[in-house]
Order: sequence, then structure tokens, then C-alpha cells
Amino acid sequence: MNTVVSTIVIVGALLLALASLIVAIRNRPMGMVLLVGFALLEVAVLVQLGFVIVAVAGGQGPDDKATLWGYLAGEVVIPPAGVFLALAERSRWGSAILVVAGFAIAVMTGRLLQIWQGVA
Amino acid sequence: MTASHRDGRGAASAIGTGPGRALIAVYGLFSLAAGARAAVQIATRFGEAPLAYSLSAFAALVYILLTVALWRGARRLALVALGIELAGVLVIGTASLLDPAAFPDETVWSVYGRGYLFIPLVLPLVGLYWLLRRRR
Repeated sequence: MNTVVSTIVIVGALLLALASLIVAIRNRPMGMVLLVGFALLEVAVLVQLGFVIVAVAGGQGPDDKATLWGYLAGEVVIPPAGVFLALAERSRWGSAILVVAGFAIAVMTGRLLQIWQGVA
Repeated sequence: MTASHRDGRGAASAIGTGPGRALIAVYGLFSLAAGARAAVQIATRFGEAPLAYSLSAFAALVYILLTVALWRGARRLALVALGIELAGVLVIGTASLLDPAAFPDETVWSVYGRGYLFIPLVLPLVGLYWLLRRRR
């Protein structure tokens, strides 16, 4: 598994969560910057998924594959779901939803790295 | 724009908009987290800790129920589910402290949701505040 991609996902997700928090505090709905940011995050998550699939196909990875795929599938779903809800909620609370989405991706990717290394 | 009257059902359906929509997002996330965890646990190693894994599945069902209830503006269903959630996290949290042997693997509600930054403990209180505040 490529830890560089996962590091990019974690840092990017945390930055997006922070940006969303600032937007929410300023009482603004989701803007173009956050929309594009979460689209890029989704691309990074899919690239990460690709690296994991290749590594597992090559015989690497933990014994507990089910948990691994569970986290990866969750990560793929969260950015689009967050953006969908933020588009429906055109207020500061839409931006607040993106804080949750970004933070969740960062935490889940951290857990993903732990699972991959067999720590947890 | 206030979304509370947009669909013609009035304030009763407004529990799923504004801050309520953020609440839906958090409950959706916990439905995903608890549901996926329970599915993996039950599918791969149910025999190791049937009690803990059954409770994982029960917690997931409560979260899914709450997500749907908030989404559809079903206030009474949401209140009942929030009560079950609060009771669940308090009972399971206490039980997991008193009898750790019965919980060899984590559930969402173990030690009041320690594995999830104690959000499972705070969440029902936030939810109850949100629903009851709107009733006045």
C-alpha cells in the first residue's frame, strides 16, 4: 500500500475539514472551493483504493481483508454523500456537514494505515 | 431561505433541515461505521463474542433508524430512537466497565463510545436538545 497517497489523503482531508469549519463559522454555505476540494479528495481516495487493490492482488496486506475493504468502501462513499447533503443544505450547516466528512476521511485513512500494518 | 415550510408540511418536518441536516450527516456516518463494523464482526468471527457483536448490530440499527427518522421528519420515532440510543450507550458503557470479559472486542458503545471520541455519548443529548427545543 502506498503510504504517500494515504498521507496526501489525510492531510488533504484535514485541510478541507479546516476550510469547511472556517466557512461554517463565517456563516456561509458550501462554495466552489470546497466543492472542487472534495472532488479532488474523492479522486485521491479512488487512487488510494487502486493502490490497495494492486498491493492485495500482489499478495500483500493484512489477514483481515473484510475490515480493510469496509474502510475503503466507506471512504469512497463519504465525499459524494457529504457534498450531496451540503448541496441540499445551503446554509452554514451544509459547510458543517463537510467538516464531519473531511474529519471522518482523515480518521478512517489513519485507521486504514494501522489495519494495513497489522497494528489494529 | 428557511426550508421549514418549503414542503408544505410545516414545522413538524423541519427537524431534518438546518442543524438537523448536520445531525443527519453525523448519524449517517455512524450508521456506516457501526453497520460496517457489525457486518464484518458477525460475518467473520461471530462465535468469538456473540454478545458484543449482537450489540454492535443493534447499535447500527438504532443509528440507521435515527438517520431515516430525521430525514423523513418523523419526530416521535426519532425521540423514541434517541431514548433507546441514550439508554444503550449508558447501559452498554457501564456494563463494559463492570464486566470487560463479556466484551472482548469493541462495540460502538463500549466504555461510553471511547473508540469514537465519546461522540456516541454526546450525540443523543444533542439530538434530544435539537428535537425538544423545536417543540416549543
